[in-house]
Amino acid sequence: MGCCYSSENETAEERKQLIPNPNPESKPLHGTDWSASNVPSARTDEQALLTSILTKTAQNIIDVSATDSQGMEQHEYMDKARQYSSKLAVLRNTLPQNKAHFLPSLTSQPHQVLASDLVPYSDVQQVSKIAAYAYSAISQIKVDAKEELVVQFAIP
Amino acid sequence: MEATLEQHLDETMKHPSIVGVLVTDQQGHNLGCRGSLSDEHGGVVSVLAKQAAGLSKDPTDSPTVCLESDTGNVLVRTHGSITVAVHKMAC
Repeated sequence: MGCCYSSENETAEERKQLIPNPNPESKPLHGTDWSASNVPSARTDEQALLTSILTKTAQNIIDVSATDSQGMEQHEYMDKARQYSSKLAVLRNTLPQNKAHFLPSLTSQPHQVLASDLVPYSDVQQVSKIAAYAYSAISQIKVDAKEELVVQFAIP
Repeated sequence: MEATLEQHLDETMKHPSIVGVLVTDQQGHNLGCRGSLSDEHGGVVSVLAKQAAGLSKDPTDSPTVCLESDTGNVLVRTHGSITVAVHKMAC
């Protein structure tokens, strides 16, 4: 059983339980019932103080034995892994295929391409010219207003 | 509106060796295409031009990217805010 009892000057954040109490209704661990009804009234204040200290202590105890029930046997783990992977395989088939869009005419013989002549400069010039024309054509694009955008309703 | 551009693309395709042409903006949106180059190539073309321009120290330098293959070349060129790709078959 692990214990992380904290000193008084620690903040509330530091004293937060790492593992939540599996049974919040459980009584303090040593089996003694500290409820106020079993205690003489003259000692109520002292008992209340002790109860609060005990509660605080109980909150700071990590009961490792209680967390064991959450663990899985190895064969259970393997079963779950198999179940998840089969589920994923089914879902993967239903997903749309995201194909790469290749540019046309990729070569399977790079040595031929590398050994061939350089790209003619006229081709480069031609592409430059096409690009320049296309740019000027696009810059000529303007909205061709054919009718009024704002129409007055004929209000009598 | 874009009739001038469409006309320019049609005229470009009249060259016997050109089998495809594509015009894209800086984001890879297709502005017009013909032949073997279609709108799904817009992204690749604009990124190729952008990456090639990044190789040069001079920001005003506009390189021509040429993808060579045994059957033809794809030439990519940026002019201003647009990028043009031309697919030329080997003569």
